[in-house]
Parts: sequence; C-alpha cells; structure tokens
Amino acid sequence: MVELEKQGVPTVIFTAQAFYHDALQSAQTFGVKNLPLAIVPLPFSNQPPESIRKMVDDAFDQVIAGLTRAAGTPQPAPMLQDKTLGTITCGPMGCEVSPQDAFQIREERLVFEGEDLLDACAVMNREFLTYGWGDGFPLVPPTPRSVDAMLKGTRRPADEVIAVLEPGFGLATVEKIAANAVMAGCSPEQMPVLIAAVKCLAKPEINLRNKAMSTGPHAPMMLINGPLAKTLKINSGTCVLGPGAPSAVNTALGRALRLIMMNLGHTYPGVSDMDTIGSPTKYSLCMAENEGRSPWEPYHVGRGFSTDDSTVTVQFVYGICELYDFSNNTPERLVQVYATATKNVAQLSTGNWVLGRRSDPRYGTQEMEHNFMLICPEHAQVFSKAGWSRKDLQVAMYKAARMPFGTLMLNKEGKALDAAHPELKWLYDNPEVLVPVVEVSDCFEIAVVGGNAGRGAYFWGAGGPVTVAIED
Amino acid sequence: MARLEVRNPVARAEERSIPPASRIPDLSGKRVGLYWNIKSGGDAALDRVEERLKERFPGITTSRHIGSVGFMMRHLTQEDAEKIARACDAVVGTTND
Repeated sequence: MVELEKQGVPTVIFTAQAFYHDALQSAQTFGVKNLPLAIVPLPFSNQPPESIRKMVDDAFDQVIAGLTRAAGTPQPAPMLQDKTLGTITCGPMGCEVSPQDAFQIREERLVFEGEDLLDACAVMNREFLTYGWGDGFPLVPPTPRSVDAMLKGTRRPADEVIAVLEPGFGLATVEKIAANAVMAGCSPEQMPVLIAAVKCLAKPEINLRNKAMSTGPHAPMMLINGPLAKTLKINSGTCVLGPGAPSAVNTALGRALRLIMMNLGHTYPGVSDMDTIGSPTKYSLCMAENEGRSPWEPYHVGRGFSTDDSTVTVQFVYGICELYDFSNNTPERLVQVYATATKNVAQLSTGNWVLGRRSDPRYGTQEMEHNFMLICPEHAQVFSKAGWSRKDLQVAMYKAARMPFGTLMLNKEGKALDAAHPELKWLYDNPEVLVPVVEVSDCFEIAVVGGNAGRGAYFWGAGGPVTVAIED
Repeated sequence: MARLEVRNPVARAEERSIPPASRIPDLSGKRVGLYWNIKSGGDAALDRVEERLKERFPGITTSRHIGSVGFMMRHLTQEDAEKIARACDAVVGTTND
C-alpha cells in the first residue's frame, strides 16, 4: 500500500485487530505515518464466507473514510468487542503501555537504581522487559565498561554501521552489536562471528523483512565453518543444539543474534514480529559443523569458500524433527527413512514451491524453500562408504521426498498456484500424482553435525541460506 | 542506593517520510482497484467490498489486482504499482494479518 501511496493513489487495507500496531508501525517505518486501515476482528483466513461478509460490512465505513478522509489523520486505536472472544486489547501489553513508547527512549546512557547493584540489575531487567528489549531470560547489563571490553573483540570502530536491518531500518553499528552481545553473555572474541551474522541478515537474498514480520516461527539458524569454530569452542558434537555447558558458546551466539534482530532490526513480538505461537528455536540456534567427523568437504566449501576460511551461514528455519535410525546401514534405507520427515504438510514450507517463491520486489530476489538436514557422523559414514557424495544424497532425497498433489494442496491457496504455475493446473484433476516437496534437489542442504549414535535432525526451512566470511 | 549505568541497546532507525496520497472527496464515478495479496479469504472480502461500493456510489468501476511475484503472499513490483496507478483512482487492499 505504501508503494501505491507513493504513486499518488489513496489506499486503505483491511487489517486484523491483532495486527493493528504492527500495521501502523510498519507503515510509519516504511515512510507513511497513519496509513488508513479498516480494522476487522479477525484475519479473513479460516473464516466462513458469512463471517467475512459481516466483518466487511462492519468495517465498510472505515474503508470509505480511508479513501476520502484527509490523509495522515490518526485513527483512534479501536477496542473491538466480540461476544465469543471477549474484549480484545490494543497491543501486547494492553492499551496502558503503547508498544511504540519504547522507541522514544533515545538516551544512549540509561541509569537504574536499587538497594544494591544486584537490585539495580533486577530493576534494569524488569524495565527492559517492559520495553520489549529482552528475550525473557535475565540479561547481562550492557554497562559502558562491558561494552567497551566487547568492542576490543573487533578492529572495527564502534560507530561503523555494519548494516541497516529490517524491518525497522535500524542502524546496526558495531557498538550496538556489542551491547546486545554483552546482554546475551558473549565474549569479545565472538564479535567477528556476530558481525558476519549481521551481514548475513542484511543480504537482500535472505529477505529479512519477510522472516522477521511473519506469523510464522522463523528462527535464524547459524552454522559456523572453518578453523575459528574450534578456536572459539563452538560445539559441533554431542548436544550441539543445547542445552548445557558444551554448547555455552553456541547458546550465547544464537541468543545475541535474536537480541540483535529485536533491538537493531526492531522486530518485537506483537509489534512487528507477528509470530502466532513462537518457538524455542527463536531463543538461540547456533552450531558448528562437525568437520572432523564428516567424510565430505566442509559445508562452506560447497558454497564457494576455502577450507581455511571461517564462515557463518544463516538460514531461517521452522520446526525440527529427528533423523533417527539405529537400524539401517545402507544409503537407500536411510533415504527412505529421512524422506518420511519431509512429508509434513502441516509445515508451511512443504511443497510451497507450487505457489511460487518468496520474493522481495524491491531487490528482485526470489528464494526457493531450502530444508536443512543435520546428518549425524554415523549416517554420513554409511553414505560415504557406499560412494555417495553430498550431491548424490540430495538427488536421492529429491526423488524420494514426494507426496500426492491432493495432499500437498490440503492447506494451500489454489489461486496462488494458478498465478505462479498455471502449467500445473492439470494436477487438480490428478490429485494422486506424486509431486516433489522441494523445487530442486539443491533445496536439501546437508551438514554433518552432532555426536555418536544414529540421530540427526531435520529443519524445515524458510527461504535459503546465506554464507558470509568471518573477518577480523 | 546503588546506580547501574548501561548503554541503550536499541538502534536508531533511518528516518523515512513519504507524503500520503491526496484523498478523494467522492468515490462516485471513480475507478477503484481491489488488491488481494493472495492470503486466504481476502478475495471473498473484496467481493463484498465490490458489492457495497457499487450499491453506494453511482458510476463507480472496480478492477482486481494481485502482485506478480511471491508465493503464499504475493507482492506488487514497481511495474505493478505503476500499472495500478494508471488504472485506478483509489485502492482497497486485503489482507494485513
């Protein structure tokens, strides 16, 4: 709608009540304050036609007002009452505290008082949570001394802008990255990893706005490759995804990236991050590849880097399931087992390619949906001893990971398929035809991760991976 | 009483400001675009909007639009926006959810 307003066309958009603040904040961030909205109690999805008609009728005066009333007039935040749902409040913390208020805190130095320093720290944590600046776990205070110490982990100047992060177009300076690294419990030597991860987030091909503002539980998975993984003690083996001491560094790094997305990209739950249910993986998801136990070239070498380079790969992911198999020792049987993990239509990305690709028209980017297979070392050896390369496994998965079109389309909007792939419309008359769950075989990303015993993990992905070299 | 001083961890934002389009005092005789971002149910909502607009405003005409890129949500490219701007005096969109 902002693009149309730029073209001189007055607009109004139907907005579900729960997305009211998100809509206003987004429009303001993208440049148009008080963009007219027609507020309805619920999203139209999952609603029967008669409910949709009623919602439109009830909001129709807002539609007319949006197109005819003087532009820029603030709309009062509506309090809609629905007998079946009870009173719907305006924002995540109720109408008493506006989610936008925290953005007005401009002071660079903040002071909190208490009976003693521990008490003051508790006050800081309570306030930060009220503002929405924390992830719910206690934060390490970003004192000037601790931030200065963190800055010693990089040669870059504190005021260097590494990236402008969406959706809020926040200026991600080295100093702000450092402050959030302190809060997460990172150490100075981890700064270069975080700087590289921020660069990943800023790449147009990761389409950060799409991931950061969605109703889906998009978690930024970090995969570290190269010599620095060992130097920094980033876990690649037993219990790599946590919790516990072996993955303490992993936990801090992943947590820092989430705090960076929130405080530098301004993606706050209920304000711009409209994730309906959340996910534990959004707190922290970071690992190193178990290069020492992998029979194949390291993952980042396949992406154009050399073995001596250290890199961060960021891929947004949804849910996780195991790739468990203690029984089989042939590649074909392992693929059969793995393929069952891929056929979950309740997971958004499964078969999504039939509707088109994620895209950002500003940059002309198009993303295929990539899923990440974290293969355990034992299974990797089974494939390797049979002469299978990583590519062989990808192709085998592509052939095995198929499901009937009718099942694939159970929860998908047919008109989206008609728009993106009209050549596939014949499948409506042939719902039993098996269709691949991903667009091409390369959409199965493979890394060797984890400890002994035949259990790996499968992540359904959102978009594709981005890899950046870790410098300084 | 102890004082704890910390650095503000929130980034300043790049400021952006675009003047909104002028509004239309009367929709009678105007061309109204109905933009659907492909989210389920939005097309049904626009069907009803179309009915109500035609009941209320004599001579109003409507046209349907979806973005030319995307997947379960479709987006307008620059070209799409320019095309709609040539064809429409105002646009009603779905859905922000």
